[in-house]
Amino acid sequence: MIFNIAWKNFSRQGIRAVLNVMVTALAMIAVVFNISLYNGFQAQTTRNMIRTDVAGGHYRVPGFDILSPTEWEDVTRKIPESLDDLPNAERASALVQQGQLFPNRRLYPVQLRGIDVHQTLLDLPLDGLKSYGERVEDIIPAVLGVKMAQKAHLKQGDTTVLKWRDRHGVVDARDLLVVDVVTMVNSRVDEGVLWLRLDHLQDMTQRQNEISWVAVKEFQGPVQGMEFQEVDELIADILNLIENDRKYAQVFWVILIFLAGIGVFNTQILNVFKRQKEIGTLMALGMTSAQVVGLFTLEGSMAALLSVFVALLLGTALFAWFQSVGLDISHLAESTIPVHENILLDIHSGEVVSTIVIIVSVMVLVSWLPVRKITRLDPTLALRGRAIT
Amino acid sequence: MNNIVSIDKVAKVFRVGDEDFTALHEISLDIEPGAFMSFVGPSGSGKTTLLNLIGGLDQPTSGSVFFKNVKLGELNRTALAEYRRKNLGFIFQTYNLLPVYSVYENILFPLLLDGNKESAVRRSVLDMVDSVGLSDQIKKRPSQLSGGQCQRVAIARALVKKPELILADEPTANLDAENSFQILELMRELNKQFKAAFIFSTHDEKVTKYVNREVGLEDGRVCWDKRRNGSGSFE
Ligand SMILES: Nc1ncnc2c1ncn2[C@@H]1O[C@H](COP(=O)(O)OP(=O)(O)OP(=O)(O)O)[C@@H](O)[C@H]1O
Ligand SMILES: [Mg+2]
Repeated sequence: MIFNIAWKNFSRQGIRAVLNVMVTALAMIAVVFNISLYNGFQAQTTRNMIRTDVAGGHYRVPGFDILSPTEWEDVTRKIPESLDDLPNAERASALVQQGQLFPNRRLYPVQLRGIDVHQTLLDLPLDGLKSYGERVEDIIPAVLGVKMAQKAHLKQGDTTVLKWRDRHGVVDARDLLVVDVVTMVNSRVDEGVLWLRLDHLQDMTQRQNEISWVAVKEFQGPVQGMEFQEVDELIADILNLIENDRKYAQVFWVILIFLAGIGVFNTQILNVFKRQKEIGTLMALGMTSAQVVGLFTLEGSMAALLSVFVALLLGTALFAWFQSVGLDISHLAESTIPVHENILLDIHSGEVVSTIVIIVSVMVLVSWLPVRKITRLDPTLALRGRAIT
Repeated sequence: MNNIVSIDKVAKVFRVGDEDFTALHEISLDIEPGAFMSFVGPSGSGKTTLLNLIGGLDQPTSGSVFFKNVKLGELNRTALAEYRRKNLGFIFQTYNLLPVYSVYENILFPLLLDGNKESAVRRSVLDMVDSVGLSDQIKKRPSQLSGGQCQRVAIARALVKKPELILADEPTANLDAENSFQILELMRELNKQFKAAFIFSTHDEKVTKYVNREVGLEDGRVCWDKRRNGSGSFE
């Protein structure tokens, strides 16, 4: 009986019910959307780092630090056989050295990164280097990322002078040919990085078979003379950065939920406020407090359920559309965040569920508490519209 | 005693801020079954307060209200709700119909609340609609009705479960003279037909012509209690 009444009351409210449901549904969508975008940002950032640089971890020559360029020269060693023997899809060897470019007669310090061109572990668009022989000729072929090319004012086909030092500290210089300018999804392997063939860089610096690190698909056990660094260590700074961002996202989530909650609270309270006289009438007609409270709670629950349903429907449509477009964050490309492509949502079911649970609870709670309060006061107050003011 | 309502030294004190305000001063009254009577008095004299006490919507500060020997003060909240559901019909000055319900549904409501199936009581609801002359308006919502029509629905809603007591707080205050007379006529009709006791509160002179008994209230005290005698005049 109470259910029928509740359904009648709810379904006949018309536009007010529709608005209430829509507002609540949109609030839930906004809350989930916001947090999912951050998740997506994080996931993509990590994925890009892994795809282009980190793989399943690095075996590094002990003491190598990407942030200390002046030490790169000395921190190299011959590649351990056990790593060299791994298939191309499971390891990518790299030698990192310092160099200087002189585009337009200006000095431009660069990281020379020699990478094994046969590796297929990392997703790097370096096909332009493959056609060259193992020995370096008069002209050094190099590939640049778009950003690097922009900064150094170089384009495909340009030549410029490259200076570097070999293992004895002797400075050498030769012409460099930009064979390709490519889009790098990870700005950290774009800006300031000059991609060379590993064998060429080894040849140029007289460091036959030497490397700075070997990226591997998975941990191979301890390797003599090398130090394994896990993915988390290698992307620690990014993780930190994201973790901070995430904290903001979570604070934002709480604020959004809070706002959504207040919105829902407000609508419901107003609803109850307007219906005080009705509550009094129902009690005069002989409904018990429990029945009146049950009636309003049921109505609130119906609104909540419908809101969830609408949110799931609209949300799914919106998210599906968004996933096909993504969020353009090219304006962030100048920063050191290693994401270049559009951000997609990463929806965590836990967050979806907790959002729904919180909003629904608020909705049910505020259709329950004030009515319970009214029915516990004497009904004459409700009849005169004075129970809550 | 076989009164339907007995009011025994009932006082009601409201606390307003930190002052006490006595709305009723130890009132005693007996009301017989089938009465057709009114409380009259100026605004603030305590008419509504007294009706609320009889309806179990409010509790006296001291004294007791009995409904057929049952002391309302001894009933808990749920029992009071049941008391109202089984025995009382309320008619309000502002009609208080349920806005999303049709005329038919509003009148059906008390019967459903009392646990009846719609199919079982359909007939009596339709008869009731007929008794108040609203057969043409049966599907309309309260917002589509005139004040007089709304009050007819309210009367039908109060009477449909055949209660022994109808409490009507200023039922004609929002109606014009013409409608007031019709409503009063209707209630007197139904009072005879259903044998339900009607207690009004009013400061409407017109009501006097219809009732059989009038209790005058002033400042929370009964100052007169007049009954119509055999020849039709009050004494
Ligand atoms: N809940 C309350 N709190 C405080 N005072 C109240 C309350 N209810 C009624 N009163 C006071 O009690 C007195 C009697 O009120 P009541 O409503 O019974 O008068 P009434 O005779 O019905 O008047 P009216 O003709 O204006 O309806 C009034 O002075 C009123 O201000
Ligand atoms: Mg009054």
